Amino acid sequence: MKILVLVKNVPEAAEADLEVDSKSGTLETGDLVYSINEWDNYALEEAVRLKESRGGEVTVLTLGDEEAEDVLRRGLAMGADRAVHLLDEAFEGSDPRTVAKAVARAVQGQGFDLILAGVQSSDLAQAQTGVLLAQELDLPFATLAVGLEIREGRAEVTRELEANTLERVELPLPALVTIQSGINQPRYVSIMGIRKVRRMTVDLRDCRALGLTEEEVGPGCSFVQERRLLQPPAGQGATMLEGSLPEACRTLAGIIKDRGGL
Amino acid sequence: MIPGREYFWSIDHPELFYLFALAALVSFGRGVWLKIRPWLAAPRGLRPLEPARTAVILLRDGLLGARIFKTGPGSGLLHLLLLWGFLGLFLGTVLISADHYLFRFLFGPTYLLFSWSMEVLGLMLLAGVVWALARRYLAGEARLERDRAGLLVPAWLGLAGLSGFLVEGGRLAGLSPPGGGWSFAGGLVARLWASPEAAQGAYPFLWWGHALISLGLIAGLPFTRLFHALAAPVSLALQGQFLDRALDRALERAQGPAEGDEEERAGEAGGLDLLELVHLEACTRCGRCQEVCPAALAGEPLSPRTFLQALKAEREGLPEGGWCCTTCRACLQVCPVAAAPLGLVRTVRSRIVEEGASVPPRLMEGLERLYKYDNPWLAKKGGKTAWTRGLPFPVPDRPLEEEGEWLFFVGCTTGLETRAQGLARALALILHDRGVPFSTLGKREPCCGDVARQVGEVGLWEVQREQTLDLLEKGGLGNLVCSSPHCLDSFRKVYPGTLGGRDLKAVHYSQLLARLVDQGRLEFKEGLDLKLTFHDPCYLARHNRIVEEPRRVLRAIPGVELREMADSGLKTLCCGGGGGRMWHEPEGQASPGLAQRRLAQAAEAGAEAVVTACPLCLIMLEDARKTGGFEERLKVVDLAELAARALGLDIEEDKEGGG
Amino acid sequence: MSRKVLVVAEHRAGALAESTLEAAGAGLGLGGEVTAALLAADPAGLEGPLLGRVPRLEKIIHPGLAEYNPEAFLEPLSRLIQDLSPGLVLMAHTSQGMDLAPALAGRLGLPLATGCTRVEEKEGAFLVGRPVYGGKLTEELKLGPHPTVVLTLQTGAFAPPPEGPVETRVRETVPEALSPRHLRRFVERLAAARDEVDITAADILVSVGRGIGSAENIERAQALADRLGATLACSRPVADAGWLPKSRQVGTSGQSVRPKVYLALGISGAFQHLAGIGGAQTVIAVNKDPKAPIFQEADYGLVADLFQVLDQLAEAF
Repeated sequence: MKILVLVKNVPEAAEADLEVDSKSGTLETGDLVYSINEWDNYALEEAVRLKESRGGEVTVLTLGDEEAEDVLRRGLAMGADRAVHLLDEAFEGSDPRTVAKAVARAVQGQGFDLILAGVQSSDLAQAQTGVLLAQELDLPFATLAVGLEIREGRAEVTRELEANTLERVELPLPALVTIQSGINQPRYVSIMGIRKVRRMTVDLRDCRALGLTEEEVGPGCSFVQERRLLQPPAGQGATMLEGSLPEACRTLAGIIKDRGGL
Repeated sequence: MIPGREYFWSIDHPELFYLFALAALVSFGRGVWLKIRPWLAAPRGLRPLEPARTAVILLRDGLLGARIFKTGPGSGLLHLLLLWGFLGLFLGTVLISADHYLFRFLFGPTYLLFSWSMEVLGLMLLAGVVWALARRYLAGEARLERDRAGLLVPAWLGLAGLSGFLVEGGRLAGLSPPGGGWSFAGGLVARLWASPEAAQGAYPFLWWGHALISLGLIAGLPFTRLFHALAAPVSLALQGQFLDRALDRALERAQGPAEGDEEERAGEAGGLDLLELVHLEACTRCGRCQEVCPAALAGEPLSPRTFLQALKAEREGLPEGGWCCTTCRACLQVCPVAAAPLGLVRTVRSRIVEEGASVPPRLMEGLERLYKYDNPWLAKKGGKTAWTRGLPFPVPDRPLEEEGEWLFFVGCTTGLETRAQGLARALALILHDRGVPFSTLGKREPCCGDVARQVGEVGLWEVQREQTLDLLEKGGLGNLVCSSPHCLDSFRKVYPGTLGGRDLKAVHYSQLLARLVDQGRLEFKEGLDLKLTFHDPCYLARHNRIVEEPRRVLRAIPGVELREMADSGLKTLCCGGGGGRMWHEPEGQASPGLAQRRLAQAAEAGAEAVVTACPLCLIMLEDARKTGGFEERLKVVDLAELAARALGLDIEEDKEGGG
Repeated sequence: MSRKVLVVAEHRAGALAESTLEAAGAGLGLGGEVTAALLAADPAGLEGPLLGRVPRLEKIIHPGLAEYNPEAFLEPLSRLIQDLSPGLVLMAHTSQGMDLAPALAGRLGLPLATGCTRVEEKEGAFLVGRPVYGGKLTEELKLGPHPTVVLTLQTGAFAPPPEGPVETRVRETVPEALSPRHLRRFVERLAAARDEVDITAADILVSVGRGIGSAENIERAQALADRLGATLACSRPVADAGWLPKSRQVGTSGQSVRPKVYLALGISGAFQHLAGIGGAQTVIAVNKDPKAPIFQEADYGLVADLFQVLDQLAEAF
């Protein structure tokens, strides 16, 4: 089985203090640590497990800056066989549609049986690139997979719906599936593991190699005219409990008893 | 007639004996070769042995079995009976052959002495066998296994001994040689036969029987548990070798690409090196390790013995309980053959971590944080100065200036974990108050890498070590004082002794405080009226033999009544925080856990407070205090905090209310 | 805005999704002429909530539309968009919307923004706001101008239109064939594993987030819940890690709850989670990060270490 996994290098935001440059409306990335997008990590693990149980080859691919190579190396250490890096300054600021176009150019005609991507990335959470790629490549697709089984040329995908409900759908291969978090327990990637694959080469492709001009990529060809980040608008906001911790907790307990009907 | 031995009396075809003997030797040789071939193929990395010291060790721990006596006189004596009985009788056979083939010397009084000695040795062997079997299968001591396989060797030895006496008895009855009275036991056996003719008739059968049994013992020795007799001396001779073998190999690999040969050799031995393979073969399954293993005692699925034996049988994977080990070192301390399950645990963990698939998820997160944020606790860099907030003086973070200045290496847990930060604050206050000059590495303080070392992430350990050495070189060497015994152990055992031409020395803060007490610089004007007990951190007491210093500090505080728990000092009972366990929960983790058992001991000792000197112990015990319902009975406090309070210093009440 | 808005309806097991009405409300709120597109095999019971609330209802009926299937939906939807030329296509950012919207936008080459919490029309383009970086920041986009823009909307961010009195013009089409490009087949729907505890029935919920740190610490939270007579629930990361069963998860892919008191410990407040507690009467949030998004939506907040709070609260009960 030939499997392709799309991965993205994103900043770790969960516990970081995020600062926005108010003039440009962009994120201050100086202090941020970058790592593989959590959803893509699940997708990678799923791909490697499929390869381990059924044989085949896994290719890991990213479109990103030079630092993004770390994510590819991690993929190789996890068990991927090949790595492809779409690297070009012109790509910066590209929207999902453009990214999908570029990736499609890179993988067209390579005979992948299965393409896996994360449902979304933890930075902008657009959840578009995977499905857009399926449209570019004219492939059947399914999103939000919490279960994936391959049987004789078919993919059986268990999708996560709302309200604690799941649905099972079947797709003929080749197909594209976006992977939801929690589908598996990704393995650990050790430093030794990364060192072991340091001799493997990463396949670099720039715009030209993909047959794209600079005008066809980047923010210029996006439907998005303007984009800025802000601190979220203040809602009514919570009434914050003050005082020392024991005092505040006493107040808190009082609220619970009162409102909870205890 | 002069007393002496008549050889091959009444035996036809003695040449058959030589044939059997040869076969036995070949079998023995082949068996030994099969066992030690992987040893020869395995990577070595051993420190050279000092001949004199090794000789003493072999005499003391090998022949005299001094380590066996550590857990009680019974087993020590028992083993001596068996060992000396067996060796003595074997020696006797050798002497007889020399007498027969080389030159006669066993005659007259020499022979009589020889005969008498053989009686004693034979009886010793038999007594040993009976005692051993009774002890194991009848009295049923808990750590001894009562499987059928364990009957083989003692039974065989017993048969060899008995058949020997029978042969002798037959010979005495048949020949009535002069001086036969010296063979007192044989003489009793001789009465079995009514007449010399009857004895002579039986004799060939007895003789061949004994010969075959004895030769069989030799032939089969390498294939039975008796092989430990050959492996144990090797293991004992190699005691004191470096235990972090995976780290050693990681450093080698980091230096350059692995030789193809090296990797292959590592592969053949299943990733274990010579020392580790020797340990696997030297293990006698005595079970002393599991008697003292804190995880086993708490009911977790770890038994060092089972772990080691499972590894012996199947070199792949991580045997059960592998993540439960706290690396406290208790197993190594009691092992009679100086095997170290602890070392094997670390090595096998490194293999598992490298493969990646069976690493506990929470541990993965901790390691990933360590890699990205330089500490295993928070997804944030540079937070290690938060503890300095609110102190009445600025804590320096500049390179050391004066001679005699200390570099306070705060450590990740002490620097970042809320409860443990109290330790740092208290120590800083004491040093400042007493005018002891010190500095820190401030926000840039890296992680010493100890957690990576314990769980087998050798690549990450190596990265951290390099970063730390780099910063130490820039930030000031001289004397390091550590808050955590874990950091201390790393600096002492797996960091170089010198850096940039200067010594890299590390002490624990309890040692520094003890020194101040000795110098009279730490006079506790305010007493504390408190009954307390000291919980020795494993990495302080067991790994670094620091037992007295914390107690010296405590005894210097007036009003303090120091009590000792049942397991204290070098025998301390682990709190369960080591071996990476602070950052994950092993499967089958017990409840009540290790820390709760420790608090129960403290309560039993009649203490009102448990004092400890390690941030991990502090957190584990503090948690156990809550989850175990000890809140009313015990307080948990750190040594520095206590000392600061006794000095009348105002340490901010920590929010956990542990003081 | 004087443009047409096409709202793609979502339904499952014979019930129309509430989120469809929210999308309709959003479209009406923009001043557009809203047409709801209902693709189904049997519209009975589904159209009811829409009648009297939206000006137009397009029903596309075919047995192959009984269950959601993008391959089946795309062709009739594309044709409808061609006919109608709506300036805006709206759907909810649900398991259906996340699946369908990018497929539609990709197939027809339309601009798309997902998970929007705010929409405004400005000079022919659309200004949308959407949560990013786990809800810690907001992104504002100007999308277009373009003849047709597709947006998916966060559930719970917009209000459904009031009931009546709008006269709804209904048109029903029965296509002869659906012409899916690929054979994606719906097999079955099933409930994710349930345990005996029903968090939707609880009066008081103690809910833990990633900050709880480990399965062992869950016990401490459970102990508090027991003392309060409350039920233990969680946010997504806790269920993903396996520390609590999926049935305890509150949020869009978990369950929506409406307790009297919802105590959120160590939960940052990503939108997907907040969407599940809209029905709670009193939300109390405890988090050591003062900037956690949940403090915007909670009724009461306390910036503190959740473990210290667990201990203190345990004393009070």
